[in-house]
Amino acid sequence: MVAVCVAPTDLRPEVDDLTGTVRSDLRRADLPAAEAAALEYGLRIAEEWGGWVLVACCGSAAADDLLREARALGAEVVRVGTAPSPTAGPLGPLGPLGPHPVAPGDLAGHPAATAAALAGAIRGHGQPALVLCGDRSGGAGVGAVPAFLAAELGLGQSLGLVSVRTEGVGRLVVERRLDGGWRERLAITGPAVLSVEGAGVRLRRAGLDAVLESAGAPFDVRSPNGSQTPPGEPVAGGMHTSASRPYRPRTRPVPAPTGDAHERLLALTGALSDREPARVVGPLTAAEAADELLAYLARRGYTT
Amino acid sequence: MGRWADISFEARMATVEFRVSERAHIVVDSDVCRSCTTKVCVHACPADLFAPTADGGILFNYEQCFECGTCYMVCNSEGAISWTYPDGGHGVVFRHG
Amino acid sequence: MTDEQQAPDPPVFDAVVVGAGPAGASAALALARAGRSVVMVERGPFPGAKNVYGGVVYGRVLDEVIPHWWEQVPVQRWVVRRSTMILTDTQAVTLDVRSQAWGAQPYNGMTVFRADFDSWLAQHAIDAGARLLTSTVATGLLRDGSGRICGVRTDRPGGDLRARVVIACDGVNSFLAKEAGLLPRADATHMTLGAKEVLALPAGVIEERFGLGPHEGLDIEAVGGTAGVPGGGFLYTNRDSVSVGVVVSLNGLAASGRRPEDLIASFKAHPGIASYLKGAEVKEYSAHLIPEGGYSTMPELATDGLLVAGDAAAMTLAAGIWLEGVNFAIGAGLEAGRAAATAIGTGDVSAAGLSGYRRALEASFVLRDHKRLRLAPDLVLSDRMQQQYTKVLCDIAEDLFTVTNPQPKPGLVRIMRRVLRRHRVRWRDLARDGLDTARTFR
Ligand SMILES: Cc1cc2nc3c(=O)[nH]c(=O)nc-3n(C[C@H](O)[C@H](O)[C@H](O)COP(=O)(O)OP(=O)(O)OC[C@H]3O[C@@H](n4cnc5c(N)ncnc54)[C@H](O)[C@@H]3O)c2cc1C
Ligand code: SF4
Ligand code: SF4
Repeated sequence: MVAVCVAPTDLRPEVDDLTGTVRSDLRRADLPAAEAAALEYGLRIAEEWGGWVLVACCGSAAADDLLREARALGAEVVRVGTAPSPTAGPLGPLGPLGPHPVAPGDLAGHPAATAAALAGAIRGHGQPALVLCGDRSGGAGVGAVPAFLAAELGLGQSLGLVSVRTEGVGRLVVERRLDGGWRERLAITGPAVLSVEGAGVRLRRAGLDAVLESAGAPFDVRSPNGSQTPPGEPVAGGMHTSASRPYRPRTRPVPAPTGDAHERLLALTGALSDREPARVVGPLTAAEAADELLAYLARRGYTT
Repeated sequence: MGRWADISFEARMATVEFRVSERAHIVVDSDVCRSCTTKVCVHACPADLFAPTADGGILFNYEQCFECGTCYMVCNSEGAISWTYPDGGHGVVFRHG
Repeated sequence: MTDEQQAPDPPVFDAVVVGAGPAGASAALALARAGRSVVMVERGPFPGAKNVYGGVVYGRVLDEVIPHWWEQVPVQRWVVRRSTMILTDTQAVTLDVRSQAWGAQPYNGMTVFRADFDSWLAQHAIDAGARLLTSTVATGLLRDGSGRICGVRTDRPGGDLRARVVIACDGVNSFLAKEAGLLPRADATHMTLGAKEVLALPAGVIEERFGLGPHEGLDIEAVGGTAGVPGGGFLYTNRDSVSVGVVVSLNGLAASGRRPEDLIASFKAHPGIASYLKGAEVKEYSAHLIPEGGYSTMPELATDGLLVAGDAAAMTLAAGIWLEGVNFAIGAGLEAGRAAATAIGTGDVSAAGLSGYRRALEASFVLRDHKRLRLAPDLVLSDRMQQQYTKVLCDIAEDLFTVTNPQPKPGLVRIMRRVLRRHRVRWRDLARDGLDTARTFR
């Protein structure tokens, strides 16, 4: 089973300029891009591994339509209904943002409690081969839930991934950004919690029949208090770095200018040097535009 | 005049939610536009999405479109604008319409 | 590309309603109440997401289908004050009507946001048994071997939706009515563009500035004030915001070279409006077309397997002092749903079988109001009305109340003669237009 954790949020809440009060409307909720990507990866992985997807959500019923859409994509759905009190999680109330107004059912400020509720819901449906999350929730999230979730489930974690691909059944190769433009490539074999950025993939659309079938159908809604299973034992290994390389194109060293201050300034700003006049090359498709930019960079010696 | 009148066009458009689709739902054939003398789309489009280019054509960006239909209604050059709705669930989302 | 051997798929639903706006939700509600299976196909992520209007819904049309609707409708404010303004660049003549009766049962107009109202109305259809398919575009009509319409194509994978009757409630651009050959591809002559801003203002400030009680609202309709482009402006009060915008003739806009948001700015800057809006900041900008042609531009309302209702059938009543579309869409949607249910019952969903729809509309306010006011749209947007008479009226009013002592008061007839000469209006034209106006609004 591949579990995907989602938290549909109002991605454009109203913020009062004067008081800073945030008013969000869950009826207008959508899946944040990162969670949509997580779900798409989950569906792809489950297809290739021959498994199934469990979509787990912790929140109110306001966004159930979005969960039904996920169900129409072939996933099982579980929602942990009412909000647990912030102290419910075994790890305590570690909301890093401190007390701030939390809408009923919205645990954005209480990642530990959210993670505990999600972990219980997932375990209620079986042992996950993989747990996928968005890198951070759409609200005030800081991306702590996946880490807490890994602790709750006793799994390894790899967070903030920019790409995920399968390499045969049970094996993944993932990439994530590191500081300074570096990338890290990891091979993942054991069960793990992964969080992904909202880039690179788009969530597929559910077919008409499936949507009609799923509309109005019930799914598993449980209360958070019934899920107090002890944290799992840590699983060692299952994840190792296979490559790590700098971001390209590389920085091009430019010799320091010489001469007096005036000349150096001119050289640095390029004020008097010849420059390529602007050209209109569009309208281009995205692919043509990318080619054009790459060709430009190549001409200027950046991509060698 | 108070500052409420001075809002920049970018700020104005930033008040609207767009769930941008990968597919461009409106495509403008710049070759047809080159022979258009009125270019009424340029000022009539409430989202200001038609930009005249130096070569007399039109550069069109579909992302912040209200899906109102003004452009294809006022354009009288056959074939200049291919107009469809964005894929379901994408495009503009009004909160206060 | 249907397999010759295979019989066409049977219809999945009795009816498919395209669009979950006021017309679509009402049609689905009527069908579901009649025990028919019906699905609404809506391209937005929720009903109302794509819809823009000025701001006032007249709810009495709901009396018969949703008893006590006023207790549950997501209202912003109940309109108790209605101002009709005639504007020139520097003048305004206002007819200001106030009635506290409008602020109590059975109520008259209410300001609501479409995202709220359309979702609310669609929920009533769902509660009655209708299905709602959001985030789904109906991309075309399905026809059977004989060319009869038998469903719609959607943009979902595997997206053909078969039904005995299709009701096109897909709004002003109705590509379904166009595909069926009922509407012209484009018709700028009979379209106006509405461009609107929702501006934040605290509830208390609104009540103070507009002289309103806590749940009371104001509705301002203006002719002119749009920098010379034929059209007018509007201002509606919501709970803690106001909706301000312009409605301008599409051809007029195209010819003017002005931008829509510029026209909003000039309406907002009019001295009669500006002080109301001090300090109000834009919360949302939006735009939408209005089919203003009225009765004479309405398409055929039924063909084999297809009914058209609401803005898709040009049913907005835009007659200068009125701008009503939602109530007309609801009225038409309900009748379309009922007529479809009856036709499905008899098994005859041909144009003839569905003709009860038109008959019902002829008997209801929908076509009766439209027929009576069929000349109004042209009259209101005519050059003389827009350019000359607004100025004439404002000048007459100004002169009437300008005290020019030591000269004695000039008398109304003298003022009129003077003003008409100033604006080169002949008595003959005035008399004829007056008669036309009387006939139009009789
Ligand atoms: C600026 C402005 C001000 C107005 N002011 C007022 C006012 O104050 N009071 C009033 O009563 N009326 C007003 N109107 C008119 C009113 O908005 C319309 O008459 C009314 O919305 C018509 O309802 P409808 O259901 O026919 O169409 P719409 O409300 O346009 O609904 C059509 C629905 O169909 C959906 N749709 C369209 N095509 C497809 C497709 N292919 N597949 C799936 N779904 C589709 C759309 O998303 C939409 O939800 C105003 C209009 C405008 C533009
Ligand atoms: S889109 Fe139409 S109006 Fe605009 S420039 Fe092209 S041909 Fe002219
Ligand atoms: S549909 Fe309206 S907003 Fe979109 S490009 Fe055309 S005119 Fe502009």
